[in-house]
Amino acid sequence: MDDIIKRNPLRSLIIAILIAVFLWLVFAPWPPELVAKWGRKQIFLNALLGGITLGALYFLVAAGFTLIFGLMRVVNLAHGSLFLLGGYLGYEISSLTGSWFIAFPVVFLVVGLLGLLMQRFIFSKMEGEELRQTLVSIGISIVLADLMLWLWGGQSYSILAPGFLTGPMELPIINSINASTGATNWLRYPAVRVWILIAAIVIGVAMWLVLNRTALGMLIRAGVDDREMLAASGVRIQLVFLAVFGFGAGLAGMAGIIGGTFQSLSPGEDTRFLLASLVVVIVGGMGSIVGAAIGSLIIGVTEQMGFVYAPTYSVVFTFLIMAAVLAFRPQGLLGARR
Amino acid sequence: MNAPVTPPRPVALGQSHVSAGNALELRGITKMFGALAAISDVTLSVRPGERRAVLGSNGAGKTTLFNCITGDFLPTTGLIRFFGEDVTTFPPHERIRRGLRRTYQISSLFAGLSVIDNVYLACRGVSRNRFSLIRPRRDDALVHAAETLVEAVHLTAEKDRLVGELAYGQQRQLEIALALSGAPRFILFDEPAAGLSPTERRDLVSILTTLPTHIGYIIIEHDMDVALRVVESVTMMHNGRIFKEGRPEEIEDDPEVQELYLGGGHE
Amino acid sequence: MAMTDQAPRFVNRADQKLWFERIPAPWWALAVVLVFLPVVANSFWLFQVMGWTFILGMIGLSLMFLAGYGGMVSLLQMTVAGVAGYMVAILGTSGTVTVSLGLVWWIVIPAAFLIAALFATISGALAVRTEGIYTIMITLAIAAAFFYFTRQNYTIFNGYSGFNLVLPPQLFGVNWREPVPFYYLSLVLAALSYGAVVYVSRSPFGLALQGVRDNPRRMAALGFNVTAHRVAAYALASVFASAGGILLVWQNAQIAPGTIGMSAAIDVLVVAVVGGMRRPLGPFIGAFIYVLLQVFSPDILGFFGFSAERFKLIIGLGFLAVVLFSPDGVLGLWDRWRARRRQQGGQAGGGVA
Ligand SMILES: Nc1ncnc2c1ncn2[C@@H]1O[C@H](COP(=O)(O)OP(=O)(O)OP(=O)(O)O)[C@@H](O)[C@H]1O
Ligand SMILES: [Mg+2]
Repeated sequence: MDDIIKRNPLRSLIIAILIAVFLWLVFAPWPPELVAKWGRKQIFLNALLGGITLGALYFLVAAGFTLIFGLMRVVNLAHGSLFLLGGYLGYEISSLTGSWFIAFPVVFLVVGLLGLLMQRFIFSKMEGEELRQTLVSIGISIVLADLMLWLWGGQSYSILAPGFLTGPMELPIINSINASTGATNWLRYPAVRVWILIAAIVIGVAMWLVLNRTALGMLIRAGVDDREMLAASGVRIQLVFLAVFGFGAGLAGMAGIIGGTFQSLSPGEDTRFLLASLVVVIVGGMGSIVGAAIGSLIIGVTEQMGFVYAPTYSVVFTFLIMAAVLAFRPQGLLGARR
Repeated sequence: MNAPVTPPRPVALGQSHVSAGNALELRGITKMFGALAAISDVTLSVRPGERRAVLGSNGAGKTTLFNCITGDFLPTTGLIRFFGEDVTTFPPHERIRRGLRRTYQISSLFAGLSVIDNVYLACRGVSRNRFSLIRPRRDDALVHAAETLVEAVHLTAEKDRLVGELAYGQQRQLEIALALSGAPRFILFDEPAAGLSPTERRDLVSILTTLPTHIGYIIIEHDMDVALRVVESVTMMHNGRIFKEGRPEEIEDDPEVQELYLGGGHE
Repeated sequence: MAMTDQAPRFVNRADQKLWFERIPAPWWALAVVLVFLPVVANSFWLFQVMGWTFILGMIGLSLMFLAGYGGMVSLLQMTVAGVAGYMVAILGTSGTVTVSLGLVWWIVIPAAFLIAALFATISGALAVRTEGIYTIMITLAIAAAFFYFTRQNYTIFNGYSGFNLVLPPQLFGVNWREPVPFYYLSLVLAALSYGAVVYVSRSPFGLALQGVRDNPRRMAALGFNVTAHRVAAYALASVFASAGGILLVWQNAQIAPGTIGMSAAIDVLVVAVVGGMRRPLGPFIGAFIYVLLQVFSPDILGFFGFSAERFKLIIGLGFLAVVLFSPDGVLGLWDRWRARRRQQGGQAGGGVA
């Protein structure tokens, strides 16, 4: 760390200043001039938090995508369909059983199984043929999209969150200070979003721990770095592949429930989340979980900030970030050069 | 690790360290693959028109040295000059356009194209109008150049066949034709004789010895008979370092070389 | 990418025949059919079926050029077509007078080609920063970004509703949106695009592009700037896509974000893969199959008791079948069938042209 600061004093200084400004923007009450210029602090904070939550959701989808690519070199363009399918199934299960929670394990198993089947009967048959695998995944996504349209129609669905998740929750962030009474006005924010964020962090940390602290994780990481060596070492690599594919698919399915709870489900959401995953892993770096986390955060916050402050150009910001990464660091922020 | 220190350059080669006069000059080239130093601290200069062999056992770093010279790899440290120009960070195509050529140890050709198209591409690569959308006419100068080269490596009879269908030896010949395209000033041959029949070897030696005298080259060759017949100087490499330089006859008689190189070659 | 093509050998072709003698008889037959089709076909066939086939085929052709010769599977070609189409609407005349500039056609059309080429070049320059399978992902992401941008931006692209009443210029007093003139217009442009791709594939640039596809490292060691060739391929391919895009906006008389959405981008890929990405004819065959399916699927599906909406299911399953069982598409099937026949009929001497 010291080393990095010594080597790039200017860059480190700029980053430090940016962080300080950012922290001030978040925690200090805004002076009136700033409010006049940017609107109320509430708007900024909401956009920021909304972006972080959205990033959390993106992470849940992209984590599986990046892991599958990193290990198997399969670009699974049906990943967004798994997300949407998970959402629809979660809707059915939670309205059938009346329990939001029961939907998670069921969807994880069902969608995970679908992923397993795809890997077992299709992708593993054409290992090494990257283009063909990708084309197949496109075909699967077309078919799944139409099947889902058939079954669930074109309308949009929302999954009801359980009671304790509804309603707002106070965060230890000053929203504004009442000028006359001097009373502090704390930021209130929908509880469900806070919990999504917490869940994503827990899952992310758990994934990181599994990858970095367990024997299975070592195996997976070794596979990401050098597949031939792993295959030659006699490990039953196909089982590892299956496990990772099933887990990534199941995770995308569960993300569908979350997406359906705090946004909504409709045809087209599959492509939206596929693209979000693509951009996230292009920015973060293919095959890196930490990269996916950072990429998700950047893309989520950028998207929300864009929507709030430049609604008709917000996509441009996301695109520019992707373009800048490709131009200066084509392997992604945390990706290894291949 | 640092056992054989680079010896002082033999005076016999009459080589001063003045850079301007050299075709190729390497200073302190090191290439790391992770923790492995494929070549370390290689310093070498070759005069224009000079013909030199690089010898060394398997894994000595000879091919890696070529890759650094052509720019396929950027060296981890060091400096490369080509006819006085610092080309250390140039992309490969810029070096080729300045007159550098190479062949590959493992033939690297366009299997789906015909022999003549392969050579035509090589000629086109070092000429202008690489982006031309106009098909060449039959009397195109480059087509003629390509045909001449095909003839030079005795492949005229095969010129319309797909390269993928050629015999191994013929593919090696074609590699050489590609390296002779345009106006080469300096060529790197990576084991051109490997796998050739005795007749093909003789052809190869005659091509090498009849090259115009201003064209210098470095040849990597395990076959001492071929190597020492077509060069005037020899560089010995071991474990990524140069440990001996001299005239062919000096090298041939050197006991250390005999032990290390021939020993390594027979393992 | 395993897309090695038996590239045409172009240097010194042995035949001394005149150019028209070298064109085999089936091609002449096809040309005659296409030229005289308006005599027999009704306007629905001319305008909807054939017009749409040519348009989709041209956009697919630009993908085939990049993928088949350059090894770069780009999902960007529909977007490039859309950029050209949008430019025609924005710079020319449309029902949205607040945005459209109303310039004359001989400024509008070249400008549309230029801007689309610029867009393709910049996007291509980004896409070639990485190789192989990354190309699909990056081009898909760029295509999506442009789609969402047109949808949310009203000042330039008029958002959701896009532009309508975009009509071709009344050149030579002809209404080019009439079925017969439109048929011939799209036929000529498609034939020109096809011919251009065939011609260029054997030019120095085309040959070098195939070299870059097969062995980029060797190409660099022959003095070629590999990156520049790839980017240039994107620029050149944009010409065919743009021509298709301009025809498309004239045929529909409108353009909106839906025209260039993700499913449209995927459709272009489907068309090229189903037809066969190794030869320029492939995309046109794929487009013809696709359009026929689309036009007749309501009847077929209705016959089996399904709703007409299940068209996409058929497309998806058909696409899967092609990718799984005949990766070279319909043309690949045809080649294999011919090879088998030639083997069998070897002694009989019955050669097909
Ligand atoms: N791309 C690479 N990545 C990692 N290691 C490499 C790479 N290329 C070469 N090496 C290593 O560098 C060392 C030198 O290899 P090099 O190919 O230069 O040897 P060489 O002298 O040409 O041997 P040979 O006579 O077998 O051709 C070897 O240990 C080899 O494994
Ligand atoms: Mg070697």
